Amino acid sequence: MRFLISLAWKNLSRYRKRTIITASAIAVGIGIYIFFDAWLLGAELDSERNLIWYETSSIRIMDSQYWEEQERLPLDRVVENPEVVIKMVEEMNIPAVPRIRFGGEVIFYKDPYEQDGGVPVQFIAIDPERDDRVFPMKQTLESGKYLKSGKMEIMIGSWFAEDIGAEVGYPLTIVTRTRDGFFQTIDVEIAGIINCPNPMINNGTIFIPMDVANNYLQMEGGVTEMDMSLPLQADVEKTAQHIEERLEEKGINNLVAKTWKDLAQDYLAIAVQKRAGSNIMLLLVFIIAAVGVSNTMLMAIYERVRELGMMRALGMKDSQIRIAFILEAGGIGFIGSVAGTIFGSLIVYLFSTLGIDYSWIFKNMNVGYRLTGVMYTVWNPEVVITAFIVGIVISMLIAYIPTRRALKMQITDCLRNE
Amino acid sequence: MITLREVKKNYQAGETIVKALRGVSLDVDQGEFLSIAGPSGSGKTTLLNLIGCIDKADSGVIKIDKEDVDKLDKNELALFRRRKLGFVFQTFNLIPVLTAKENVAFALHLLNLSKNEIEERTMSLLKEVGLEGMEDRLPSRLSGGQQQRVAIARALVKKPAIVLADEPTANLDSDTGRAILELMEEMNKKHTTTFIFSTHDQMVMEFAHRLVQLHDGQITKDERRN
Ligand SMILES: Nc1ncnc2c1ncn2[C@@H]1O[C@H](COP(=O)(O)OP(=O)(O)O)[C@@H](O)[C@H]1O
Ligand SMILES: [Mg+2]
Repeated sequence: MRFLISLAWKNLSRYRKRTIITASAIAVGIGIYIFFDAWLLGAELDSERNLIWYETSSIRIMDSQYWEEQERLPLDRVVENPEVVIKMVEEMNIPAVPRIRFGGEVIFYKDPYEQDGGVPVQFIAIDPERDDRVFPMKQTLESGKYLKSGKMEIMIGSWFAEDIGAEVGYPLTIVTRTRDGFFQTIDVEIAGIINCPNPMINNGTIFIPMDVANNYLQMEGGVTEMDMSLPLQADVEKTAQHIEERLEEKGINNLVAKTWKDLAQDYLAIAVQKRAGSNIMLLLVFIIAAVGVSNTMLMAIYERVRELGMMRALGMKDSQIRIAFILEAGGIGFIGSVAGTIFGSLIVYLFSTLGIDYSWIFKNMNVGYRLTGVMYTVWNPEVVITAFIVGIVISMLIAYIPTRRALKMQITDCLRNE
Repeated sequence: MITLREVKKNYQAGETIVKALRGVSLDVDQGEFLSIAGPSGSGKTTLLNLIGCIDKADSGVIKIDKEDVDKLDKNELALFRRRKLGFVFQTFNLIPVLTAKENVAFALHLLNLSKNEIEERTMSLLKEVGLEGMEDRLPSRLSGGQQQRVAIARALVKKPAIVLADEPTANLDSDTGRAILELMEEMNKKHTTTFIFSTHDQMVMEFAHRLVQLHDGQITKDERRN
């Protein structure tokens, strides 16, 4: 065995050029794999954070009927006395805020706008005094001011503002229905424009003060939801269950507590699909590297058919010859894997500090990720180790096929080979 | 030592069947220095391949060192060749990435000998074939004659019963060829190893102690000379 290893090693160093070229192919494959994975993981984590911070919060409490019918944003399925629930949750040391979510349309007119128009949007009424305990929207304010209770003002996303040509101070008319289903119009002014890293918010959600919405929608203190914030690593399922138990203890059984995972099933479905898609891309990368190795091993073996014949004539067993070639390929795989993991890790490191700016992609294309600006790669040691091992193992497996074919030849035919 | 009885071998070349050996019978004793001579295509290589157990006869009996080699399977044959047979090829067939010493040691590594014994036997054989001082050279830095000397050392180092050499001098100039044959003769005497070599060269035949003439797959002459 020792001498087979040494033979393989000598062949590798003797055919240096070939070794380097093939190992480079593997290295590039593995490097891309590692980088790609870190990039995806970064996107996923960023995306999840932006989803939780700006869109779903960690856990949302709603009326169970509201949860069933949430697509149509029903205002008749509300939580009547949110403060009781909020107090209870805050006693568990979880920040919680009320919100009213409703559908409608904004109407705008020529001057100051370029032209007349109307756009259907989703409205969220927030309590300006405490909403930022859960949603860090204040930090994303790009121009103007944050909302204030009692003011007929709204806050909109910067992309939406750009779409309709709105600026701070412009008027807008909201057309919606009250809790009882009557049409209602609200004239408001744009107080602030936010640049939210969650494109869903930035593209068409309008924020309005809670008391204004309460008045105009005749909510009588009712809200559609209460959102709470947990640390990103927290076990949200367990906490949600815990909250439901506590609600039940208090005799409140018309409410449900849903986690961000329940709330963003569409996002999670897309994320799974995307992972499958990127796995296919990674597979392609591997196939390219594998083709490189198989080509090299094919050449290496066919170049040496006579040498192989000699070895067999001298009494080397097929299994030993197989091992010799597999070790040789494994050596190439090893060199490529070492170089590839170093190369991949370096670019991951580079982009984990520099970041990749691709706001332009997400502005013009809705790809489902809750991402906007600069994104950072995230290092995943598990994948690096996997890539390393896979690089070696695949190289070895690939050498097996041409070796087996060469071993099927008669020894006499091998020896006659030119 | 070697017994062949009515050995036949055909090759299929497209539509036609080539009768390479048409019933060869031959007995070879321990320590003989025998040449199989004949023109190109007469069946020399085929015969050596059968004795060398790297090919199978279509019919007939082949016994080597009392072993009925027709009855051995692939792995048993490999082990048999490993222990009993040495090969010298027309094209030398050294492993290009190994030095002279390592090429010779290769045959011993297959026998799982101790490191010391491998080293000892390798060095002493390289000395015998006149390559002292060149042990660490790669084949590419050796002349054809020197490479063939390494090959002879590789064949002999495991102390085989028989060394088979298919046209061992065909790729060498006549002086070098002569020197190789002298070396083989010397080794035959010293180690009492049976040597069987094929040739179509008159000069080479002169060296043989026994000359077997092959023609169209049949033995036409078998003479001993001293
Ligand atoms: N693998 C093969 N397939 C077909 N014909 C072969 C094969 N090997 C040898 N022959 C034929 O068998 C005959 C004997 O060949 P060979 O034993 O190589 O003769 P020699 O070594 O004396 O030149 C020749 O006619 C040759 O063409
Ligand atoms: Mg021949």
